[in-house]
Amino acid sequence: MKAQTRRQWLVTHEWMVKPMRQKEWISGKGILVWLAEVFSALGMGLYLVGLLAGLGGLTEGAWWATVGGWALIVLFKLPLHLVYLGRPLRFWRAIPPFTKAWKTSWLARGMFFSIVFVTAGLVQMVAWYLLFNDVVTGSATDVVTVISWAASIVAGVFILLTGVYCGFAMSYCKSVPFWNTGLLPIVFVLMGVADGLALTMGISLATDDLAISTLESWSRVLLVVNALLILGYLVQAYRKHSAAELAARDLISGSTAWVFWVGIVILGIITPLTISFVTMFLEEAQAGPLLIAAIVCHTIGAFSLKYSVLRVGIYRSVLPNVN
Amino acid sequence: MRWGMVINLAKCMRCHACVAACRVEHFLPLHITWVKLIAYEVDEGGAVDVSTYPVRCNQCADAPCTHVCPTEASHQREDGVVVIDSDKCIGCRYCVIACPYQNRTFLSKDKNPGYFPGYEKTGFENKGQKIFPHQVGTTEKCNFCVERIDAGMSRGLQPGVDRDASPACVNVCQARALTFGDLDDPDSNVSMLIRKHGGFQLRTEYGTDPSVYYVDYRLGGVPSNVAPREAQTGSHIQHLSSIDRDAAKRLHIEPKCAQPAPDGEVEP
Repeated sequence: MKAQTRRQWLVTHEWMVKPMRQKEWISGKGILVWLAEVFSALGMGLYLVGLLAGLGGLTEGAWWATVGGWALIVLFKLPLHLVYLGRPLRFWRAIPPFTKAWKTSWLARGMFFSIVFVTAGLVQMVAWYLLFNDVVTGSATDVVTVISWAASIVAGVFILLTGVYCGFAMSYCKSVPFWNTGLLPIVFVLMGVADGLALTMGISLATDDLAISTLESWSRVLLVVNALLILGYLVQAYRKHSAAELAARDLISGSTAWVFWVGIVILGIITPLTISFVTMFLEEAQAGPLLIAAIVCHTIGAFSLKYSVLRVGIYRSVLPNVN
Repeated sequence: MRWGMVINLAKCMRCHACVAACRVEHFLPLHITWVKLIAYEVDEGGAVDVSTYPVRCNQCADAPCTHVCPTEASHQREDGVVVIDSDKCIGCRYCVIACPYQNRTFLSKDKNPGYFPGYEKTGFENKGQKIFPHQVGTTEKCNFCVERIDAGMSRGLQPGVDRDASPACVNVCQARALTFGDLDDPDSNVSMLIRKHGGFQLRTEYGTDPSVYYVDYRLGGVPSNVAPREAQTGSHIQHLSSIDRDAAKRLHIEPKCAQPAPDGEVEP
């Protein structure tokens, strides 16, 4: 007999049978993970943009950008992650050489990346400070320059890895099909860099020694690329798996939709993009307030992106024949 | 050697004896269960199917939880059992999210209020805390009663055959729905059951190769654990009436109020 209706009623443990949202990394104390990941992206973007700007020509603005990015990682990302842990005082167990888990675990790798970045970044900032303020003279300048370049390269590579590892950590989870895609780390990194460009523009408004028009050009390109990437991500989710489709639907028209449309699309992408086009035709003095608005919108977009992706992390059901 | 379990879905009668035995064996905190009985009902064209899936850690051969653990607190023993070293766990909860079978639980303070919340811990609880010190802020899961396996084997006993070397849930199952043994031994009781009755694992598409198998004795494609209509009890009918108006109509009884959706549920 052909089944006419198919309904299910859960009696126990519905989280294993119905598609349910993960809560560990977004609800209750899990909010700390969300905030830590946001500061991770902002810190990565700000430091990376500052570093690249400084390598092109050392300026006060570039130095402050690297200091800002480094501070976001050290003062916000790492402490928030630490506080989230159930046993914070054991954090050292996740750091090589106390663990060999870095071979497989993205969290252990992330710890390592963060520590190397913090160390190399500190050396780079001190070296830049010495060079920029002419503290060192003579042959010492050459030594500091070499140290500065070496530290910059190491810090640059490891801040990128620090920004990207959380994307890989999430995309590793087959239990959450919406995250289980190689696009996730790319989206996180590019959005982080776009946010970093915006924050660097804010710094350059104060120091007035960075080419805002260049930063804006890059910001425009990245925002368009990010918009396309997010679109591609959602299309992929729709095609991938029913749980991923459910997550995408939740993002677009469900309870998380307001965060997606208002936070990511309108404030995070459309508004900064519009402002960056409008400011092309304005004087710098007139563009200042608009740039500040764009920076605020960018930052709201960064918070919204991580929140919505973590929020719609929907598990696959455990049992067969139950979708 | 790889320890595994076969669960006979046709025999399981959802008595929760395994859940209780596990709780007593490991002095589990009040709001933690390592073994879970998933019960769900499906209505296909009026044919109501009541199913029970006893689930626990699948002790996967390729366990995602061990791969993601940043401290190696979750690790696999040589006999295939995945265990957690609570002294190493930092409580990052990555394993809880990465486990495709959602069989890990983070032990937060609110899950361990004592067996009698608001009162002092009993002597039984204090003794249990010394034997199995469940640490708040770490992750927990079924460990196939490795302490029983190890103690039994050291005395020359055979897990799955001798009670003193077998998991507590297997020992107490009065329906004999749980069978424990060595999956690597083709002549073991579990290997023969899997061969004979077409044992299956949950979600094989993950490639985790779970050590927990299920058999359901399906005859002619019909699940044998569905109670025939004439065998359904009055309480069963009443139960259906409380959750489904259509079912109530079919059974000619007045419906009760609809059951509210659980918090956080996402409608498919």
